[in-house]
Amino acid sequence: MDTGNVKWITAIRNIGIGLLVCGFFLGTGMKKAEAALLEGLLDGFEETLGESAAAKGERLTIGNFYQAERPDSHAPIGVMQDHTHNKGEFMFSYRYMYMYMDQMRDGTDNLSINDVLKDFAVTPKNMTTQMHMFSSMYGLNDTVTLMVMLPYIMKEMEHQNRAGVNFTTNSSGFGDAKVAALWRLYAFETPSIGSHRFHLNTGVSLPTGDINPTDNTPLGNNSLLPYPMRLGSGTVDLLPGLTYTGVQNDVSWGLQGLGTVRLGHNSQGYKEGNRYQVNTWGAYRWAKWISTSARFNWQQWYNIKRKDGQLQTTIGPLNIPLVPTADPDRQAGKRLDLMGGVNILFPEFKGLENHLSVEAGAPIYQDLDGPQLKQSYSFWVGWQMVM
Amino acid sequence: MQNRIRMLWCMIGLAIVMGPSMTHAYEVGEVQEGGTIQGQVAFLGSPPVPVQFKVVKNPDVCGQERSLMKVDVRNGFLTGAVVVLEGVEKGKPFLPQTLAGAAPGEGTFQHQGGEALGLQVHTKGCNFGPFTGVVAADQPIQFGNQDSIKHILHTFVAKGQKGSILRTIHNRDIQPDDEMQLTMSSKKLQDSRMVRFACNRHDFMENWLYVLKNPYFAITDEKGQFVIDNIPPGHYTLRAWHPLLGLQEQDVHVMPGKALGTDFAFSG
Repeated sequence: MDTGNVKWITAIRNIGIGLLVCGFFLGTGMKKAEAALLEGLLDGFEETLGESAAAKGERLTIGNFYQAERPDSHAPIGVMQDHTHNKGEFMFSYRYMYMYMDQMRDGTDNLSINDVLKDFAVTPKNMTTQMHMFSSMYGLNDTVTLMVMLPYIMKEMEHQNRAGVNFTTNSSGFGDAKVAALWRLYAFETPSIGSHRFHLNTGVSLPTGDINPTDNTPLGNNSLLPYPMRLGSGTVDLLPGLTYTGVQNDVSWGLQGLGTVRLGHNSQGYKEGNRYQVNTWGAYRWAKWISTSARFNWQQWYNIKRKDGQLQTTIGPLNIPLVPTADPDRQAGKRLDLMGGVNILFPEFKGLENHLSVEAGAPIYQDLDGPQLKQSYSFWVGWQMVM
Repeated sequence: MQNRIRMLWCMIGLAIVMGPSMTHAYEVGEVQEGGTIQGQVAFLGSPPVPVQFKVVKNPDVCGQERSLMKVDVRNGFLTGAVVVLEGVEKGKPFLPQTLAGAAPGEGTFQHQGGEALGLQVHTKGCNFGPFTGVVAADQPIQFGNQDSIKHILHTFVAKGQKGSILRTIHNRDIQPDDEMQLTMSSKKLQDSRMVRFACNRHDFMENWLYVLKNPYFAITDEKGQFVIDNIPPGHYTLRAWHPLLGLQEQDVHVMPGKALGTDFAFSG
């Protein structure tokens, strides 16, 4: 069987697995589509909380996942899949993300260009990543909210080689499309303890992003670009997670854990490392139309398994390592970002609820299995329209 | 032997499928020498003052301020108490009736009547209808929005003392001039007899409904009076309910063609 056929078969298999996983989650959800999944299973808890509420002259409300129309009803814009929708509700979102990476680092130590060029023929100097993310959410029923995300990504990396020559590579195109189902688990609230909502995140990332980007380099025209310049994983990835959000008066908060679990190896023969992240945020509503937020984002990602056999990794008769970005064992890392954001809720227009949000921040800790470029800062701008 | 086992499985299957529909369904039929129950519901003490709201969403349609009188007492008598006769399994049909919400709202609860209650909720002036009403399980309810703005209808089943636990049944957007049909399934109601309607966008839109099993009910008028007529003679339980004041009940014996007087008294 030739390589082309193998790629097609692998792609079809991966998409098939993705659809099966989606189908499984959707199919099982239909049975209890009238309520959150844990409703009716926590009677004892409800009785206790209900009595406590009654003693204060309050009522306990179960199953209210409605997000009041307030600026912080949505999480800071860098957080995805943070809320669910009522049956029939539709939300369209557009996000723009800009990330700048500058200076090489190994572990928690910064490296100079010369430090890297002692061991490699070429070093990255900086990198910008821009992303236009289009997404939609739809309340399928009282249990499941569906979400579709499609990113358009633009990457640019500047390099320097041992001869002191600088050159830049670019890649751009659609990234991996994601399909997710958000499952309402449980929600409860009283006036004195606020509202608390939990949902399960399930999703699949489909390999629509290019994993064979090429550009002109000193090695030649249309050279295959290394791993960080690629636009997708090339594999079907599972996206499990759990989200908790809370609101009381003018304060809101949230905690979310999300994973990206790679299934199989891609058509280039490698598998990107799994990635896990935890978001926690707090927001304060200053007025009916504006809130500000602070968010911590912890991310950990792992090295690539196997390698892309077509990617040049050494140069010259002495087999000098070419560039750290081509080494599958120099891709892992962990990072803690601190982000600050503003959410603005516009007055209702023709029944549409519009949110404009910005968020920016920088890492306060990053430990990289390098040499790797460290992140300097990132910012997000987003517009969300609920119908 | 195998045939008997098959037959047994068929019977079990039939019981599972038919079971729920065979339990205590009300039947409309002729009433011979029906009796009447009439009385008054008093309120002792000082009623709570109406709750005042400053309208945040859509003040152009709903008004700048609204108030919600949850306990409506006039001259010591309670208006809007729901009085129901429990235990009647066969008798008169549901009667057509329209119950109007408190001004300035113009919402109504309209009962189409017949073999079913046929509840229609006409939302108008940021008002679903009167603060108290009745609903029937497993029967479609027609919701209409005659306002030029969206409402978010949130329905709950209420459990616990005076409805201290509210469990969401529906949470739906009703667009301007739109309609939708919803049902309060008996599975969702879980033997509770209280349902609450609310609008997630307008705090002052709140209604409480008693879950009926038959058409023998009345809602007290401005003098706190109620009349339930054409009752098949027999022993029943008469209940008076108000969502904030609770439930009271009395055993009653309805005699053929006779009127029975009975009163209730709630206190604040």
